[in-house]
Amino acid sequence: MIEKINRDEAFRYMGLKGEISREISDMADECEKRLLEAAIPRYYWVYAEISEVSEDAVTLKGYKLVLRGRDISAHLKDCFGVALLCATLGEGVDRLLRTVQAEDMAKALMVDALASAAAEQVCDAAENEIRDRFPGKYTTWRFSPGYGDFPLECQGDFLAAVNAMRTVGVFLTAGGLLTPTKSVTAVVGLSDSPVPAKRRGCGSCSMRESCTFRKSGGHC
Amino acid sequence: MSEKKRNFYRLLEENEFVFLDGAMGTQLQKKGMEAGAIPELLNLEKPEWLNAIHGAYIEAGSQIVYTNTFGCNRHKLAGTGRTVEEIVSAAVQNAKKACGEKALVALDIGPIGQLLEPTGSLTFEKAYDIFKEQVIAGEKAGADLIVCETMTDLYEVKAALLAAKENSDLPVICTMTFEQNRRTFTGCSVSSMALTLEGLGADAVGVNCSLGPKELEPVIAELSEWTTLPIIVKPNAGLPDPVTNEYDITPEQFAESAAGLVKYGIKIVGGCCGTDPRFIKAVTERLKGMKSVKREVNIPAAVCSPAKTVIIDQPRIIGERINPTGKKLFKEALKRGDIDYILGQAIEQVNAGADILDVNVGLPDIDEKEMMVRVVKALQSVTDLPLQLDSTRPDVLEAALRVYNGKAIVNSVNGEEGSLEAILPIVKKYGAAVVGLTLDENGIPNAAEGRFALAEKILSRAEKVGIPRQDVFIDCLTLTASAEQAAAMETLKALNRVKTELGLKTVLGVSNISFGLPNRELVNCNFLQMALTNGLDLPIINPNAALMTGAVRAYKLLANIDKNSAEFIAAYSESNITATVSGAQGASSAAKAEANDLPSAIASGLKAESAHLTEELLKTHDSMDIVDNMLIPALDMAGAEFEKGKIFLPQLIMAAGASQAAFEVIRKHMLKSGGETVSKGKVILATVRGDIHDIGKNIVKVLLENYGFEVIDLGKDVPCGTVLEAAVSHKAKLVGLSALMTTTLGAMEETVKLLRDNKAECKIVVGGAVLTPEYAEKIGADFYAKDAKETVDIARKVYSV
Repeated sequence: MIEKINRDEAFRYMGLKGEISREISDMADECEKRLLEAAIPRYYWVYAEISEVSEDAVTLKGYKLVLRGRDISAHLKDCFGVALLCATLGEGVDRLLRTVQAEDMAKALMVDALASAAAEQVCDAAENEIRDRFPGKYTTWRFSPGYGDFPLECQGDFLAAVNAMRTVGVFLTAGGLLTPTKSVTAVVGLSDSPVPAKRRGCGSCSMRESCTFRKSGGHC
Repeated sequence: MSEKKRNFYRLLEENEFVFLDGAMGTQLQKKGMEAGAIPELLNLEKPEWLNAIHGAYIEAGSQIVYTNTFGCNRHKLAGTGRTVEEIVSAAVQNAKKACGEKALVALDIGPIGQLLEPTGSLTFEKAYDIFKEQVIAGEKAGADLIVCETMTDLYEVKAALLAAKENSDLPVICTMTFEQNRRTFTGCSVSSMALTLEGLGADAVGVNCSLGPKELEPVIAELSEWTTLPIIVKPNAGLPDPVTNEYDITPEQFAESAAGLVKYGIKIVGGCCGTDPRFIKAVTERLKGMKSVKREVNIPAAVCSPAKTVIIDQPRIIGERINPTGKKLFKEALKRGDIDYILGQAIEQVNAGADILDVNVGLPDIDEKEMMVRVVKALQSVTDLPLQLDSTRPDVLEAALRVYNGKAIVNSVNGEEGSLEAILPIVKKYGAAVVGLTLDENGIPNAAEGRFALAEKILSRAEKVGIPRQDVFIDCLTLTASAEQAAAMETLKALNRVKTELGLKTVLGVSNISFGLPNRELVNCNFLQMALTNGLDLPIINPNAALMTGAVRAYKLLANIDKNSAEFIAAYSESNITATVSGAQGASSAAKAEANDLPSAIASGLKAESAHLTEELLKTHDSMDIVDNMLIPALDMAGAEFEKGKIFLPQLIMAAGASQAAFEVIRKHMLKSGGETVSKGKVILATVRGDIHDIGKNIVKVLLENYGFEVIDLGKDVPCGTVLEAAVSHKAKLVGLSALMTTTLGAMEETVKLLRDNKAECKIVVGGAVLTPEYAEKIGADFYAKDAKETVDIARKVYSV
């Protein structure tokens, strides 16, 4: 599913700027190779019809999952349905992260950043498949629990909706976090009309006060 | 054998194929189950639905039906107000009513729904407890057998299978879920599943869910070569469509593909997601008149972790370094409970070419059992290599076997009656392989004949308790050549006979041979070659000694085992040598030339160079002088550049890594000279309860340690009380807490409050992606640190160093 990891993205996560030194790029070569060996990338998505969009909640036909919050409601207001997506790199990446931490923390940081970039690439692949399944329709950008006021607490119902335990092997910890750790859940809205190209802005992000990208003048 | 077991085996004997049922969930949905409902509650609320569903499957030909208890564990039922016992009892009754005499009732046990350690936070012991509750309830309610199904984590099935075997007399069958790459989601291979579960005493093994019968063919083909047990296959009705949720094959296609699996010796057949009674009917009709294929399986000698099976069909190196004998640093690490040190020893051997790691943590002053369990779990969290569990104490071995994930080697049993009686039954129970030492109460026989006779004795006793022949490895014992020169050839003679006459795999610790001699490596290396030529399969050596590992590689090349010299070339070709060197020591030769003083070696992140320069400096300088006037200023310089944006986090950590290598040398030196270890003060670090992202905390740890602070690392997902306890018992002046997710900030606040309420005399620093200085102040922390560097600055302030 992934042959090359988007390194620029990973370097950005690590806060690397300017010219990349030889030692860093050598390290990235090794880490990328090991990461691609350790990862078993996969995703699964289901289609759900929207039954109602109110000001602060989106209900879905046939699912217990309710998408709560003003931000997700605004995001989906012109949509007829959503694709609920769960993607992961698999537990092997968690193992690799533990291994490289015992080996060399600098490598661990590199693997961590490359893995985050790779997880986004798995989501991109899923999104392409979703678009192919709905020719002539328009999709919104991916909106994940934790963005804006879309609560992380919905992860349990989200995983149940995509039957994540069986379909992709993603679980929730007692503390409500996704495991394997390099896993993503996201909502892609489907619409009959073009979706205004509003970029995912920092205004709607719950990380906006502490985000290092923002602090350095950028965005993710 | 219990009556229920007899019934199950009779069913297998009297039928060419035994048929299971099909899907439960979709049938319940058809009856009207609402989205998001908990299916297990319907056992109580809608018994008539379950009667009807089970009945329809039996009518279609099912001879075993699964109870509607897939998620019936205390974790998933939390908040329903129902107990496991209540629901299991109702579920078994519902199935029994439908079955009458026509079919057996299998208590269905699915995954708990949380990932186990090390990636998840559910412990093996807790998982065992959860399954135990289900098993006891199931047997009490009258189930005929237990099925553990749709498992993706070998560790979880092991917990379930052990719970079933230890708490009931019922037959237990297990199926795991494999993907097209012939691995489960957690990376478990088919061979690992088969070796582990057959070893643990499952009554049948197989595969269910994920794919259709056609896609499962390669998985079944592989499985048929790795188990002597009856094979179960319970596939999906093809693959689902994400939009319509429909599966893509018909009952006839399903039956046709299932018939294609008969040649692999499948015995027990059913359907999983998307199947219904039509599928079961179709498959029973299609297989009618077909004969089940009797398999002749020769399972090779092999050991495994979930992701790696090591077949002992050629020399395999057992790394001997995880052992405190004669190693000061290792002993000290054990006493301090410094698991990271042990993991470092493991990784080094893995990278040097070990195939299996021996693990011995026996030391008089520590709780060996507790340490063994911790170390086995920790090692398996960072390496896929199978382990050889090494202890003189049966209780330690059993504790280690219990938590080991896969099939391990036990080191060791010997010809003494007491040893045979204590060790062999636990080897059998946990399905391990065992090393048999050719000695007994009279010591080591001098002549080869005596040792050979002991090997025969150990083999026959092992076979008597049911340990398969291929799982007995014999160690003919190396004696010191300087003391008993004639013994070396006797060892080799015995080894050769064990190998050729008994056909057993052989093990030998090699390094002892040269004790007391000069040029030990030369002697070791030659003895190793002689042993390999005489049929040694499992040399126990220090894989970091390039000559020894090289001797094994060269032997494999010359003995025509390493085809086309592929392994040899991969290990020694030009590019790989540099890669190994820079991988292990972080130094490229170009960079090496530039750094000739310690501060600049550290600033450039050169590990090997830093260690070497430190060794040199120690000849003329005091340890603390080096720490204070070279290591710390070098790190300061890197820190300042990091703050200015001239270098970035990876370079800062590389500098810290180099400094760590220097520190290691200093610590070794201080131990030798009997001095105190370096400590500028204790800092407790923890990732708070509920949070499992600990890389940030670990970066802080490395940096703090390199400034000479003693870090007490409590790990991740740490309960508030544990932090308080540690703060008090260690009298640490600084506690650092990390949280990455908004959802776990609450736990951080609670931890701070608990420390304050109990008047712990410490400052608190908090950090993590979602934290802000304002929030830190709000929850009552003393400091907010935006990164690892700032945490160090704060620690120095707190300790005024």
